[in-house]
Amino acid sequence: MNMLGLRGSYRNTKVTTRLTWIEEKILEKLLGNASLTLLYQSNVHKRCTLEMTKKCSLQGSTMTIVYLEQEVVGVFMLEDFPDKDSKKTSTCAWFSFERNKISSGISALVLNTLVKVNSTSLQMSSISGLTLIVYPSKEGLYLNEAVIKNLELNVKQSQYLECEIFRVDGIKNNPGFIKKMVTARQHRGKFLSTLRAYRPYADLVSEVRILLVGPVGSGKSSFVNSVKSSFQGRLTRQAIVGSDKSSITTQYKVYSIKDEKNKETLPFMLCDSMGLEDEKEAGLCTDDIPHILKGCVPDRYQFNPREPIKLKHFTYAASPPLKDRIHCVAFVLDINSVDTLSDKMVAKLKKIRKDVVDCGVGCVALLTNVSDYDEVLDNNLVNMTENMTSLNQVQNVRNMLNIPVANILMVSNYASERMLEPLKDVLIFAALQQMLRAADDALEDLPLEDTASDDGSFNNSSHIKNEGKLGEVKRREMS
Amino acid sequence: MKIAYLQFYPSVVAEFKQLAPSNSSPVERQDYLPIMLSSLGYTDHDAQIHSSPEGASFSVCSMEEALKGRTLFDQAWPLRWKLPSVAALGQNLRPDRFQNFKRTVLALPLDSSMAMRTRLTWEQEKYLRNYFGEKKFCLLYKASVQEFAGQNLLYKCQDQGPTMVVVYSEKYVIGVYLQEGFQENKVSTTLFTIQETGLSPCALGPCLPLSLFRYEETSDFFILLDKKTVTISSEIRKVLRLPSLSGDTFIQECEAFRCDELLDERKTRGIVGLCSNLLDALRNYKPYGDLVHQTRILLLGPIGAGKSSFVNSVKSVFKGSITHQASVGCDRNGISDKYRTYSIMSKNDSGPLPFVLCDSLGLSENEGLHTDDICHILKGHTPDRYQFDFRKPITPNHPNYIHDPLLKDRIHCVVFVFDINSFNQLSCELVAKIKQIRRDLIKHGILHLALLTHVDSLTWITKGDLLDIYSCNPVKVKLGVFHRLFGFALSDILVVSNYDSEWQLDPVKNMLILSALKEILYTANGFLEDLPLNK
Repeated sequence: MNMLGLRGSYRNTKVTTRLTWIEEKILEKLLGNASLTLLYQSNVHKRCTLEMTKKCSLQGSTMTIVYLEQEVVGVFMLEDFPDKDSKKTSTCAWFSFERNKISSGISALVLNTLVKVNSTSLQMSSISGLTLIVYPSKEGLYLNEAVIKNLELNVKQSQYLECEIFRVDGIKNNPGFIKKMVTARQHRGKFLSTLRAYRPYADLVSEVRILLVGPVGSGKSSFVNSVKSSFQGRLTRQAIVGSDKSSITTQYKVYSIKDEKNKETLPFMLCDSMGLEDEKEAGLCTDDIPHILKGCVPDRYQFNPREPIKLKHFTYAASPPLKDRIHCVAFVLDINSVDTLSDKMVAKLKKIRKDVVDCGVGCVALLTNVSDYDEVLDNNLVNMTENMTSLNQVQNVRNMLNIPVANILMVSNYASERMLEPLKDVLIFAALQQMLRAADDALEDLPLEDTASDDGSFNNSSHIKNEGKLGEVKRREMS
Repeated sequence: MKIAYLQFYPSVVAEFKQLAPSNSSPVERQDYLPIMLSSLGYTDHDAQIHSSPEGASFSVCSMEEALKGRTLFDQAWPLRWKLPSVAALGQNLRPDRFQNFKRTVLALPLDSSMAMRTRLTWEQEKYLRNYFGEKKFCLLYKASVQEFAGQNLLYKCQDQGPTMVVVYSEKYVIGVYLQEGFQENKVSTTLFTIQETGLSPCALGPCLPLSLFRYEETSDFFILLDKKTVTISSEIRKVLRLPSLSGDTFIQECEAFRCDELLDERKTRGIVGLCSNLLDALRNYKPYGDLVHQTRILLLGPIGAGKSSFVNSVKSVFKGSITHQASVGCDRNGISDKYRTYSIMSKNDSGPLPFVLCDSLGLSENEGLHTDDICHILKGHTPDRYQFDFRKPITPNHPNYIHDPLLKDRIHCVVFVFDINSFNQLSCELVAKIKQIRRDLIKHGILHLALLTHVDSLTWITKGDLLDIYSCNPVKVKLGVFHRLFGFALSDILVVSNYDSEWQLDPVKNMLILSALKEILYTANGFLEDLPLNK
């Protein structure tokens, strides 16, 4: 013991973690905005497993971190730290990062792990064959090949510099939650590359247009900002948001989305509209919707709640090409107010729904302000959970708008955050993906003559040659 | 002053959670309260969510009480719904309200962390920090979780450095602070109680830590965990301002904390690193699409809100030492009565930084900046050093009037600056005026943010809080009030602490100023990106 020489006088113990402040913050974020409390530190406390268990048992979830020369290896344990000479299985997150380079990435995986404490060592072994053993008295660390491979480490066995154990506060005691939090970043990357690779159906258009409609304050503009933020990798504000007596958004706005990586525009656009209000001559006119759907309304059109659009307003858009039309409509609703929508609002929404069907446009619902957004998707982040899809609100929306549950999407917009959260990004991307699928379905469903080539009198896109005809056909169908 | 405290069991919390987003700040949840509280007749209160081992609860109280983190337990008792077990739930509750009940409860396991969470209120922790210095109290032991056993307390606390043990009786919070922590030698020991009025200390002198936890006839103070009692001699009771009482006091809970420095070397190093990253990012900032060389930021706000101070603070951070170029004062007439645009030189002489801060006359009810002048400024007509006249706005006849402003002369982002301590005391006229200005901005598609200054002088806020200012209770409450008053989205409200009286730069303040500036500049980029292509 390094303290032996000081016996008889005051020991000035100072328990301070070796993690840098940034590393601590990033790890807390990785585990879902947890907070860390250092319980055991090998260079201050006795170097034996007994001391570890004395300090760390009955504390709830813990995180054991071992510092090597260049790297840091850690295991987060959801269950209580085991007592001396006992073992237990727990959901564990194994992770590693390079010292002082945590921002370049953390390798992490979530595994069911057997944790065992005997008189000389702390052993962790996962069912998939990863093994990590800490020998406190020898300050030794053993990692098997599988750990080194899976966590992309460079060392095999080594003396460690320090071993620390933290209590982890503020997380949900739920294996699924941990799994989602820890793997959210990886899934975010996957979704991102899928969306980057997306091409509209049969290349009929170069960009899919998604129209957002919904009551005032339901989060349409916030969703635009959230999507932009998720792709940019930082919080952005382009659409003005906030709250006031009436809708903040009064213009029709078309937003293209830029990719952080290659700065290119992505093959879809979000079209933001004025909020709907209960009263008749307030908010967006429902009569405007068919014109918007058909692509007659130009970007930055100033909505007038009292007077619907008359086609003669626009010289341009008599029969707009397919690329200018809306390909998918998202009904944006605040999940907390779905059940309390007024009859007038429901009637307006239903009317819009009918227009959407008439125009042959894809349709989804987007529920915002979902508080338990970490519970929307299952543990593998591929499907919505039954808990969420069977919510009253979801069923109500399904019945009200006749939208299949698979197309009732749930997100939590960035409205009060100061930082991005990978899991929120995942939900936003998943919602976008479903919207694009709905748009593709609608494009695929277009009558054949709509997609065949023609004179292309309105053509200003190299992809499509038939929009002039198409517009006319559609117009005839509707009149 | 109406105060209500409602305690809900997990089931009810589950239902409540459906109504209120869990990631929202306490104040946001206020919006959902009417649903829960309509039966009580409470309408206009602030709510806070507390988690405790029993589940969770939320309290409703007036603003002043919320700021102190205080709640009252004895009112609204009838509303306490006691739910014996999951099985019996169906019978106790109105089925229509609890249709989703079972599902939700299963989906919402209680936070494991609730078990190890201190019972100290925010206010009590503040008293402790005021007395013992800026400390972070790390909970190591909690008797209700780790058993009322002296042995367990010792296991957790031995060799942890400065340690504090707190016991809770029905009425009092009594604690003992061990300067050198639990070890085998005598350590300097301070007893204290925390009451409504604050902390009453009593120095015990050097003591063996262990002796405080065993029965000794001659001892003035000891805690017997196994018996759940604390014994205090009558002399010490007097010093601690406790009522004299013979015999032992029963305790409900005992907690032990390690007392870490809130702002130790490690954190300071981290913050200095973060600041230098931010500085680099801002020096390398490029206005969107290279449409302009410098983005122009207009600061608007009431007189004395700290507009010029913010300019000076930004200049100081980039210069590396405190500077006072923009004249500051809180003269009733708004000391900056000229329109000033400040370009900031970077330290290494590589020319001006890619942004300009524009300081204007303060807003007030009648005098102050003319609303029409704002319009001219936004469009870029107003020249630097223009002398404002609150009676009439600038006209095109003014000799320096900029007749054909370019994109570079226009304002790209507006920042509303307020003093966080006093924005809620502004007159209705001024609030209405500011709201109208905001509406005009929205109409013209100009992005805007709010910047609340003087956060360090907010009640209860001390320097250590600036580290994680957005998660501080009083700040959250204030942000919520501001959000409701002016309608800004919560993430559009920034807080800073300007350099007013300091002689030396401070990394924590730098961090706040730079992060705010970064948000402002990226918001300006959002505006530039949003411009129609033909401009």
